[in-house]
Amino acid sequence: MTLFSYISEFLRPSWIKSFFTVKTPPLVSPPYFRDFPTLTGKECTHCLNCKMICPSPGAIDVIQTAGVWNPRIIQGHCVRCGYCVEACPEGVLTSGDLLARKKEQGLLFTHEYSIKIDTGKCMGCGNCTTACPVNREIDPQIGAGGTSFSDQVLIRVEHGKNTVLHNELCKGCKTCMETCPNGAIHVIRKVTAVQEAK
Amino acid sequence: MTVLQKLKNAVRKRSIHVCYVNTGSCNGCDIEILACLAPKYDIEQYGIYVHNNPREADVILVTGGMSTQWLDKLPDLWDRVPEPKAVVTIGNCPISGCVFNRPGKLIDPPVSKYIPVTAAVPGCPPRPSEIISAILGAADILFKDYEIHQKEKKGGSHK
Repeated sequence: MTLFSYISEFLRPSWIKSFFTVKTPPLVSPPYFRDFPTLTGKECTHCLNCKMICPSPGAIDVIQTAGVWNPRIIQGHCVRCGYCVEACPEGVLTSGDLLARKKEQGLLFTHEYSIKIDTGKCMGCGNCTTACPVNREIDPQIGAGGTSFSDQVLIRVEHGKNTVLHNELCKGCKTCMETCPNGAIHVIRKVTAVQEAK
Repeated sequence: MTVLQKLKNAVRKRSIHVCYVNTGSCNGCDIEILACLAPKYDIEQYGIYVHNNPREADVILVTGGMSTQWLDKLPDLWDRVPEPKAVVTIGNCPISGCVFNRPGKLIDPPVSKYIPVTAAVPGCPPRPSEIISAILGAADILFKDYEIHQKEKKGGSHK
């Protein structure tokens, strides 16, 4: 290769252009990329399944704007795991091809919440009982010490100890865990994924 | 605009030097930054070069949620970066602490409490394409006509 051919090779306009400009395709995400979940426009029933399954703190909120409940993803907290998309029974959220794949596989999530109280640590202060949003809905007259005349409530203080009456009412919000001064109460969220047989 | 300023703009647009600082991340975001260097994304074709030396850097990429060891070191490192400079935080940790932000944590997010952050890329971890577009966007805003903006700022303070 002579010097002349060498120079003429590198003075080609197309070579100079490709040398000074970006060569790979533009910065776009593929269609199957699991991005931050977005709303599909379907009606949210405020069941809070998405919020209960979310593994990262403060990533999803279900808020009411102009009388309509809708989930809102908080960027900077969301880890894009896509659990909320799969857990939603209505298909309110979508992200990549996750919703289509869920439909194809017939994936179904069932939630189960159980409350465990460490009787050795519980001192029967009733903080959890008064803080529980389910309790307050059923019996607004609940006593400051956690005692209640109604036996329809989720938990109430009986004979100085906290007792779980209706475990199936629990929505898994963990408000009781946050208010307990001793760490005596624990909410166990159990989620089972079932795939439909074909 | 003078010819010199035009030349500076053109050069700075194609020569962004990056230094990445891990302030206690899980290495997920660091791997995504490494993916930017690989041929698929090839960060150097955009004119972004990696120097792990803050004295040579224009843009600092911060990953991680500010562990206690970094509380005094990151502002110190930020002071050593020559002007014009910018900070781009990568991932959720510098914004919120993400999964590390639990009771009894040993991190102190957000990073913007300690150094001025120009751009934050959310995601756990973010895509390399998101990282590259954030660096390019932040550099475009901060480094274009930098001297003119500095003069305007000084003129404003005299009034």
